[in-house]
Amino acid sequence: MSQKVTRRQFLNYSLMGVGSFMAAGIILPMGRFAVDPLFQGEAEGAMITTSIKVDEITEEPTKVDFSFEQQDGWYKSEVTDFAWVYKDGDKLIALSPVCKHLGCTVTWAGDDANPNRFFCPCHNGLYEKNGKNVPGTPPRGPLDQYEVGKSDGFITIGELKPNELVN
Amino acid sequence: MLYNHQDLNVLKDEIEFVDTAVIPFAYGDMNEDPKMHASDMEMMQMITVHLEKQFKGRLFITPAVVTVNGITAVVEDYSEQLRNYGFKKIIILSHNVPQVEGTHGIQLNHIPLEDMSADMKMSLIDDEVKDTMKQIIAVWNNKK
Repeated sequence: MSQKVTRRQFLNYSLMGVGSFMAAGIILPMGRFAVDPLFQGEAEGAMITTSIKVDEITEEPTKVDFSFEQQDGWYKSEVTDFAWVYKDGDKLIALSPVCKHLGCTVTWAGDDANPNRFFCPCHNGLYEKNGKNVPGTPPRGPLDQYEVGKSDGFITIGELKPNELVN
Repeated sequence: MLYNHQDLNVLKDEIEFVDTAVIPFAYGDMNEDPKMHASDMEMMQMITVHLEKQFKGRLFITPAVVTVNGITAVVEDYSEQLRNYGFKKIIILSHNVPQVEGTHGIQLNHIPLEDMSADMKMSLIDDEVKDTMKQIIAVWNNKK
């Protein structure tokens, strides 16, 4: 015997169905907004992916360009900078090219007499490969270091930090 | 170093190391081909930005000096002032280098930048920057 649904039951069911959809429509977005900060946490990581592959890096410091957005007052601009990246065994090392003396840009092996050192053309400053300033030349401290990592085989560059390789 | 509060503070103490002043010198005439002067000026601006980045610790880039009718008196006075401040070498960077005693002139090429794609522009400016850097290093090595 088929069970009959009365008009009153049918109306009740349909009201409950429609009502729950409406409630869900309000509560779900609210809930998503409330927990949003949990999902966001790491999305804005400071690491910038470059276009240089990890395999291309050797023990010889290589120039790795990276660009980021810089806000200057109201004005946002894209800035391109670079780091000297090399491998020490399996470890990647990235050094800042900014001379610690007065801020010129240093080059690897820029001076013919010092083929295995960083050279600052402004006042003939010299740094060892690990960024240590050579005594007797103008710089008073070692080159700064960048956080460095890899993502999908490409080099990533992060925050600037004081040199940790030099004691 | 640039002509701003912060850099001028450093400059005062480090004048011994920052021994070279670069004066960007441009024409701002309205009656004779102003478009060419404008694109020259734009190019010079880009070159000085790059130069400053490379040689921050030894170059002081002065504010650009603009003249009309080819009058050079202001550059002459300015280079005199810079010498009295303590700069040993004064370089005038221009598309029309004036003859000023005791200064080194670096002549830039006229490049019609407005007709070029951004990539081409960049690479031409890069070449010009490299060329200028070489000339500055030559001035430094030539110990006079």
